[in-house]
Amino acid sequence: MADHLLEVDDLTMYFHTRDGVVKAVDGVSYTLDKGETLGVVGESGSGKSVTALTMMGLIQMPPGKVERGDAKFKGRSLINMKEEEIRKIRGNEIAMIFQDPMTSLNPVYRVGMQVAEPLMIHKGMSKRDANKQAVELLRLVGIPNPEARVKDYPHQFSGGMRQRAMIAMALACDPDVLIADEPTTALDVTIQAQITELMQELQKRTGSAIIMITHDLGVVADMADRILVMYAGRMVEYGTTDEVFYSPLHPYTWGLMDSIPTQNLVEKTALRPIDGQPPSLVNLPSGCSFHPRCPYAQAKCVTDVPAYHLVDGTHGAACHFAGDPGFVRGCSLEVMV
Amino acid sequence: MTMAEHHKHDRHDEQSLVEQHAVRDSRAGLPAGPPIIEELAHMHNDGVVARDETVGRTLWGDAWRRLRRNKLALIALIWLVVMVTAAITADLWVSKLFGDPATINSATAMSNRLLDPSLAHPLGTDTMGRDMLGRLIYGARASLTVGLSAVVISVAIGLLLGALSGFYSGITDSLIMRMTDIFLAFPYILFCILILAMLPTSARGIGPVILSIGLLGWPSFARLFRGSVLSVKENDYVDAGRAIGASDSRLMFRHIMPNAIAPVIVYATMSIGGAILTEAALSFLGLGIQPPEISWGRMITDGQRLMDTNPGLVFWPGLMIILTVVSFTLLGDGLRDALDVKMKD
Repeated sequence: MADHLLEVDDLTMYFHTRDGVVKAVDGVSYTLDKGETLGVVGESGSGKSVTALTMMGLIQMPPGKVERGDAKFKGRSLINMKEEEIRKIRGNEIAMIFQDPMTSLNPVYRVGMQVAEPLMIHKGMSKRDANKQAVELLRLVGIPNPEARVKDYPHQFSGGMRQRAMIAMALACDPDVLIADEPTTALDVTIQAQITELMQELQKRTGSAIIMITHDLGVVADMADRILVMYAGRMVEYGTTDEVFYSPLHPYTWGLMDSIPTQNLVEKTALRPIDGQPPSLVNLPSGCSFHPRCPYAQAKCVTDVPAYHLVDGTHGAACHFAGDPGFVRGCSLEVMV
Repeated sequence: MTMAEHHKHDRHDEQSLVEQHAVRDSRAGLPAGPPIIEELAHMHNDGVVARDETVGRTLWGDAWRRLRRNKLALIALIWLVVMVTAAITADLWVSKLFGDPATINSATAMSNRLLDPSLAHPLGTDTMGRDMLGRLIYGARASLTVGLSAVVISVAIGLLLGALSGFYSGITDSLIMRMTDIFLAFPYILFCILILAMLPTSARGIGPVILSIGLLGWPSFARLFRGSVLSVKENDYVDAGRAIGASDSRLMFRHIMPNAIAPVIVYATMSIGGAILTEAALSFLGLGIQPPEISWGRMITDGQRLMDTNPGLVFWPGLMIILTVVSFTLLGDGLRDALDVKMKD
C-alpha cells in the first residue's frame, strides 16, 4: 500500500482542554493518489480542517495530542516527523490555501515578496530570482499585469485577486499535494466559480493532488474524484463522487444533499435544513453522534457507536443500517423526492 | 458669502466636477490602444478598482502622510529636529557666538556675571558669566543622548524578552512575565537614585545615568510587546507563514515583528520624554551629570538659589525640559494615530 501519495490511517487527535477532551479528529482514514482530488465535506466544527492541520503538524501540541493512527506521505510518517523535517515538506511538497484571503496575506509586505517567500525558503533562491519567479506565478494564476502587481501591497488587491495570490504562493514550489481549506468560502459567487475553475486548470497543468475542504457539496461535485463526509470529528461516508452523489449511504449525507437549494422555477419550496445543531465535541451524544438529529434513529443508534465499514468495493459509511439495501433505498428516496 | 453665492459656488464646483468626469470619460472612450483595453477588461473581470495614485504607496509612506496632517505632532517634530540639529552642530558655532559655555573664564567671570539679555547674550549669562543660550544648547546634548540611549537599551531588552514571552507561551512566558512584574514593582526613580548613590562621585556621569534608566525601563516594553505579539500571532498570515515552512525565527522576525512593533515605537517615543525627565531629576539631585558637563537639571540646581532675583536661571532650562518632554509625547501621540492601520482613511 506504500504506493499511495498520501495515506491517512485511523488518524485520531484530541484537544485536552480545561473543559474536557475535545475529540476533534476521530479515526479518519483515506488515501490520496497523484493528480487526484479529494473533497472533504462537513459542517463547521466537523473536524475537516483540523484533520488537514494535524497532518501538516500545524496544531499546537499541547493542547492537541495525536492519540492514535498515522498519516504517511510518500511512505514517511508525517505525525512522527521532527519539526525541522516537516518544515521542509510544508509549502514545498504539501502546500495549503487558507479560507480567508483577506487576512492570510501579511499586510506589511508586497504581494510579490510573499509569493516568492516559499521559493527562498525551500529552493534557496535569491530575492531577485524568487521575485522574477513570482511574476510568472502571478501570471499563471491569471493576475493581469503581474510585472507591476508584484510591487503592490495586499490592501491594493481585491478578494479574488488575493486568493489568486494565495494559490500562486501555494503553487510556488510545485507541491505534490495542495490542501485547500474552504478556498472559496470568503468570496462572492462569481469569483468562487473563477477560483474553482482556476484550481482545476492548474491541477491539469501541474498534476498535483488536491484536498478540497468545504462545507459546500456543490463545490466538490464537479471537481472531486472522491468525497469524504465528516461529522463530529468522524468519517461518516467515503466513496467516489458518483457513489456518494448517486447512492449515498448515510442519513447525514442525505441531509446535506437535501439542503442544497434546488433551482425550481415553478414551485417555491422552503429550504430543508438538517434539524438541530452540530454536537459539542466535548460532550458527544452516546452511540452514533448523529442520532439526535437523525430522523431514522433507533434504539441501537443511541447505545452503539457505528463503525465505519465498506458497503461495496470502495464505498463505505458509518451507519448501522448502511449495509441494508432496503433501508438505504427506501429512506434516501423519501428524502430525495 | 451670502447664501445664494454659496449655492452658486457649490453648483459651480459640481459643474466643474461633471466636466472633469466628462473629460475623463471621453479620454477613456478614445481608442487608447489594445493593452490598456485588455487591462481594463481584466479589471472588470476580477472586480479590481482602477490603479490610481495608490501605485507605490507603502505603509510607512501612508503613516508619514497621516502624521503630516496632525498639526501638533508636526510642530513637535519640527521643534525636535531643530533641537537635534543645534545639539549636533553645537561645537561648530556656539563657542564662536557666545563663548565657551562649559568652562569658567576667571578673567571675565565676575564682569559677565548674571548679565541681562542682550544681543551678545540673547538669554543673559549665569552666575559664572557663561552664556545661557549656549548652555541650554549643550544641555540639549546631554538630555537627548540620555533620552535616546536609555530608551534604546530599554527597547532592546524589552523587545527580546517580550518576543520570547509572547511567541513561546507556557513556562518561558511565565518566567519572563514574573521577572517583569518584579522589576515593575521597584520604585523606578528611587532605584535609579540608589544605584547612582552607591557609585563613587568620580564614577558618576552620563554613562551610569543612561545605564540605570535604560536597565530599569525595559519591563513596560516587554509587557507591551508581548501583548502585541500575542494578538498578531493569532492572525491567519502567521499560520499561512508556518504553512509555507517558515522557521520560528523567520515567523517572529519577518511575519510577526513588523506587525507588532507599532505600539512599541509609539511608547518608546513617549518614553524618551520620561527618560529626559528622569535625567533632569537625577542631575538636579547631583547624582546625574557632573560639571563641567552641562545638563538642564543641573542648571536648575545651580540657579535655584538666585530664583528670586534672576528667575531666568531656572525658567529657561525648565522651559526646555517641558518643551522637549511635551514634544516627544505629542510626537508619540501623532505616531500612534499615524501607525494605526485601522484608522486608515
